Amino acid sequence: MNTCKSLMFCLLSIFLINCQKSNIDELQTGTLKITIKNTVKGVPIVLNTVNYTNSHGEQYSISKFKYYLSNISVTGTASNPAVAQYFLIDESNPASLSFSLTVPVSSYTGISYLLGVDSARNVSGAQTGALDPLNDMFWTWNSGYIMAKMEGNSPQSTVVNNKVEYHIGGFAGSNSVLKYGGFSLPGSAVDIRPGKLSEVFIEADFDKWWQGSYDLKIADNPAVTTPGTLAKSISDNYKNMFTITEIKNY
Amino acid sequence: MKFRIILLLSVSMLLSAILISACKKNDTVTETYNPTYLNFTVPAGWPTPPTNIFANNPLTEEGFQLGKKLFYDGKLSKDGNFPCASCHQQFAAFATFDHDFSHGFNNSFTTRNAPGLFNLAWMTKMHWDGGISHIEVQPLAPITAQNEMAETIENVLIKLNADVDYPRLFKSAFGSSDITSQRMLKALAQFMGSIISSNSKYDQVKRGEASFTSSEQNGYTFFKAHCETCHKEPLFTDNSFRNTGMAVNPFLNDFGSMRITNDRNDSLKFKVPSLRNVLLTFPYSHDGRFYSLGAVLDHYRTGIITTQPTLDPLLVGRIAMTNNEKNDLIYFLNTLSDTTMTKAARFAQ
Repeated sequence: MNTCKSLMFCLLSIFLINCQKSNIDELQTGTLKITIKNTVKGVPIVLNTVNYTNSHGEQYSISKFKYYLSNISVTGTASNPAVAQYFLIDESNPASLSFSLTVPVSSYTGISYLLGVDSARNVSGAQTGALDPLNDMFWTWNSGYIMAKMEGNSPQSTVVNNKVEYHIGGFAGSNSVLKYGGFSLPGSAVDIRPGKLSEVFIEADFDKWWQGSYDLKIADNPAVTTPGTLAKSISDNYKNMFTITEIKNY
Repeated sequence: MKFRIILLLSVSMLLSAILISACKKNDTVTETYNPTYLNFTVPAGWPTPPTNIFANNPLTEEGFQLGKKLFYDGKLSKDGNFPCASCHQQFAAFATFDHDFSHGFNNSFTTRNAPGLFNLAWMTKMHWDGGISHIEVQPLAPITAQNEMAETIENVLIKLNADVDYPRLFKSAFGSSDITSQRMLKALAQFMGSIISSNSKYDQVKRGEASFTSSEQNGYTFFKAHCETCHKEPLFTDNSFRNTGMAVNPFLNDFGSMRITNDRNDSLKFKVPSLRNVLLTFPYSHDGRFYSLGAVLDHYRTGIITTQPTLDPLLVGRIAMTNNEKNDLIYFLNTLSDTTMTKAARFAQ
């Protein structure tokens, strides 16, 4: 009978240890929440109804604004390796404008990211979640993701219905639009504590698409929907669209 | 006493198992998911496929059968008339028999000749221009093309969800009845990737089970000397993209892989097609302009436009060929037809 009791005790212990494991994990990690505000020169984007003017004096509206953020990692005294997590930021879907990552407890001084979907994932077959072709960000004729997409209208556009369409993609060779970027945080600004939440607020300024290293003019190029040098030039502009506006350690 | 110990032991083990499983979160694997796993067999003497297309898509009988049903199902097209199989007919080695361009939704034509579907596990890129990087994402192109199946992926999934059979079939193939684009594409890949053509007369000769006639042997000798670099055995393609010196069709202005690579050096380069089952896949070339093997060989003899800057270096002198050599070569090419594959019930609707 004693054997029975000890056996039962053993099994229950196994169960308890098994359960505790996840609690221990929770004590060693916290949550990093990224919250994005898409703007035009600091003013939150209003889809469809508001007319904006770019630095070339051209008027435009925005009906779609979507892009991928992936491979996010934080660095500091500790660092966590970039994980293959993919987030589709879609201005028309408020739920997509913030997302959370579980990261080890530490103080972090930097965040790095990929604006786009890494090349390996572009050629790995059918995907799901943020990368599901249902999200209308996958080219069916030239396998690969549209890394960033803007659609709208402009009186300066010469194509059908004055459309403006920038579908920016391409992950191979010299025309790759993949933009790896990062932020240095002041001091140990992101302080991940056990089971607690830290939130980083990022502003994405669409206005940066029009200039930087290349003057994108609607009159010249109202639509860019294939990989190539033009798409590459636009990505060289938009890689500068992010700034951190606030960090909160709750 | 012994009995009681055993009883107590079993009860405690059961209890622990329940507790442990209760502790796990998000455990969605159902206990009834028990698919029949299949082996993908590389024919003897063939190279290993360059990548394992089933690495993230374990091949199962249930997945294969679901893929086959999807392949033959008009629900994947807008009006129900254009399943994958409407352009990829088994008796034509899964090409479109006797059509330069296939027919699509609303009396439209495709803009390229439908290729045969077999030995896809060895194919590194799909489409004549190499635009498709993986067999799983290939079906997205014809399903959504307005001149092919003209449907949206959203609508296909809605139709499959409303069907009486599919939820059950997805469950047996993937463990739950969720119907997602990824699962649909993986199932199609399991079916298409399983179609292997390796039992033509040529294969039987190679295995010592048959022998060539003297004409076939002469043709094979000529083939080895003049064609084999690009149409590499045993797959009869080297998976490369080459310009074979054809005039640009002014209706199509199709410049091949340059559209994908944006590199002018790739202008007019198209995928080297496999010559397996070539007798069944006529007409030939990316736009189906050659209606017979004789016409293709005449192009190589006398038709190649040698002034095109991207013409393949192997073709700058064209391919000299007597009429006898041409006839022998056609006899040899006829030995590449594989009726075991074209008549296999396993691949049939």
